[in-house]
Amino acid sequence: MKLSSSMAYGSSKEMMFGFAKKPVETKDGLTIGGGYVIPEIVPHPRPGSEKTLKTLLREFERANYDAMERCVMVGHPLLVVENEHVFQMTNNPEWGREIAAQTARQLVEFKEKYGLIAAYRSTIADIRKPDMVNMRDSDPTAKVLESFNECAKTADIISIESMGGKEISDYAIIRNDITGLLFSQAVLGGRDMEWLWSQIVEIAKIHGCIAGGDTNCAQANTAMFMAGGFISKDIPHTLAALSRAISVSSTLVAYECGATGPGKDCAYENPIIKAITGVPISTEGKTSACAHPDLCGNVMAAVCDLWSNEAVEYHNMFGGSSAAVFTEMLGYDTAAMNSAITLGYQKEFQACLVNSDRYRGPHGFMLCPDNAWLIGKAVVDNNESLYARARAAANKCGELMLGDPLLRMTTFEKESLLSYMKDMEALPDKEEDFIDMCLNRYGKVKGFRPASYGL
Amino acid sequence: MKYLTDSSKIFTRFDINIEVARREARKISADELLQKVGDCVVEGDEEKIEDVLKEALKTKSPLEVTNEGLIAGMNEVSCLWDEGVYFLPQVILSSDVMITGIGLCEEKMGKSMEKKAKVVTHTAEGDIHDIGQVIVNALLNAGGFEVINLGADVPVDEVVDACKIHKPVMLTGTALMTTTMTAFPKIAAKLKQLNLNIPFVCGGGAVSEEYVTSFDLGIWGKEASQAAAMAEDAMNGAGWSEMRAKWNG
Repeated sequence: MKLSSSMAYGSSKEMMFGFAKKPVETKDGLTIGGGYVIPEIVPHPRPGSEKTLKTLLREFERANYDAMERCVMVGHPLLVVENEHVFQMTNNPEWGREIAAQTARQLVEFKEKYGLIAAYRSTIADIRKPDMVNMRDSDPTAKVLESFNECAKTADIISIESMGGKEISDYAIIRNDITGLLFSQAVLGGRDMEWLWSQIVEIAKIHGCIAGGDTNCAQANTAMFMAGGFISKDIPHTLAALSRAISVSSTLVAYECGATGPGKDCAYENPIIKAITGVPISTEGKTSACAHPDLCGNVMAAVCDLWSNEAVEYHNMFGGSSAAVFTEMLGYDTAAMNSAITLGYQKEFQACLVNSDRYRGPHGFMLCPDNAWLIGKAVVDNNESLYARARAAANKCGELMLGDPLLRMTTFEKESLLSYMKDMEALPDKEEDFIDMCLNRYGKVKGFRPASYGL
Repeated sequence: MKYLTDSSKIFTRFDINIEVARREARKISADELLQKVGDCVVEGDEEKIEDVLKEALKTKSPLEVTNEGLIAGMNEVSCLWDEGVYFLPQVILSSDVMITGIGLCEEKMGKSMEKKAKVVTHTAEGDIHDIGQVIVNALLNAGGFEVINLGADVPVDEVVDACKIHKPVMLTGTALMTTTMTAFPKIAAKLKQLNLNIPFVCGGGAVSEEYVTSFDLGIWGKEASQAAAMAEDAMNGAGWSEMRAKWNG
């Protein structure tokens, strides 16, 4: 696998919501990244519905139908429906297959009846828990791959939220340990992604399906959620921001293996991925408040191609089911963005989105298009190894945060950041030396199996 | 792109407004050696603890070193966290040091240190997101409890069997996904059938108070940081309904 060595965009000024350098077209002619933003709705089944295939089929049938019906009701012309597998859907690959096939039929019905253009993304659950199984050779691994095979038969897009490295990143996050994050996210996560995504891309080719992309949700989002808002005392936001920068190294691997996008919605690193690769991306912000809070609710829309809600549990609300309500909201958000494009106001609209969150916190700051582009540049300029590019990304992110006085930090967060920078400076330059050091340091962490990563 | 230089009309940085002034840790002991042990815990200094402990154990009993050095240090860490001076990683690192230290004292004694009480912890069947449980384990350990850690993706019957064997004062369950938390009422029902009315604290991700308080034994755990105080209540004889009334609603 060749590590990326150039940027798709010459500068952040070229980056705009709705436009990707490398748009992707689905079987039904839905172009993603082709000059407009499309809502991506993610309904989630209620507890109890996972009991049987029959109850789960019914749950998704209702939720997906409601989403498409609401599009027709209020006039949203385009839609992507994503179903993230619950454990039972991947653990029983035929369940995922049946739900994918059912959704594909629903898409056809809505197209034939109303002319709604929609696509279906099936996201397989990564049921390989790194400290419990060999990531490359276990029953859960076989089920994950089988699920991809089954779902790719009818889905338009396949994706996953891979778990590689999580046994070390969980250990490192709660110990404020930047070295552990570099090792887990970049070295381990990147190796797992290469192993996994080369197979996913082949499966997608066989079935004429789009290999979407991955996310560092299991690691960088864990850090971001733990950093929380302005009240949490769990981990510093500065650590979460560096974890996000590091995540680019592994998330990028999916595209280096042949994935084409659209990237996964919960990959908050996606603006950086887009700057490097030019693939269309899905992002989420204020509309994912149904799943979790974040400090970058508007800026995440600045360069998106799909605009998502992360996951909303299926329930009735005053305005209809949650799937319908969130589809309507996402659709109106994208309608506003598409209106801005049509009017030629997209730059002004983007500036409003960016300024809303630029200094709200470290995550919003680093994911502004200008900073995202600069972090991406550090990644491609240091492509000697997965580790080298992750370290460079984290360093650049830290420099940007320290270099802008308008980004305010608490004393603890600033002191922590200075300490991470110092720690990173003292690390070996060569990946093999870094790996030796980390195998020694983290070899004792419960359940860590270097063989899971080919080490 | 035009960037604002004043965002005061856009958002408020409450974290900076409410930032707690840094303060030094309080003195733990009048004894110099015990103070050094306590300092290692407060500073989360895993590198120094072994040498410092060996030095202290030359003249003091393992029990004295544990209670007046390690545990006293951990109590100060808890205060610093409660006051908002410390963040979670500092507590975890201190807990690591305390556990290492207790291990060394136990080695010296030739037997295990007596713990306050047993708590069984697990992450729900089908759920592999266990960072919340890892934090709960660390905080319970730091609070002096014996943690029976069943790990992640634990089948219902395995949890029930562990409760039968260990008779814990409290059981905890963690779940990120709503579709895996459905294991909790099944566990509670089986425990009730066996007349094991163990307070069952459930929390994590999408686990809601409404859901957990819909079945007997269930107490909603809003934050991992509450775990040790809840275990204290259970150890002191509070039943599940009494605990629910105190911590929920």
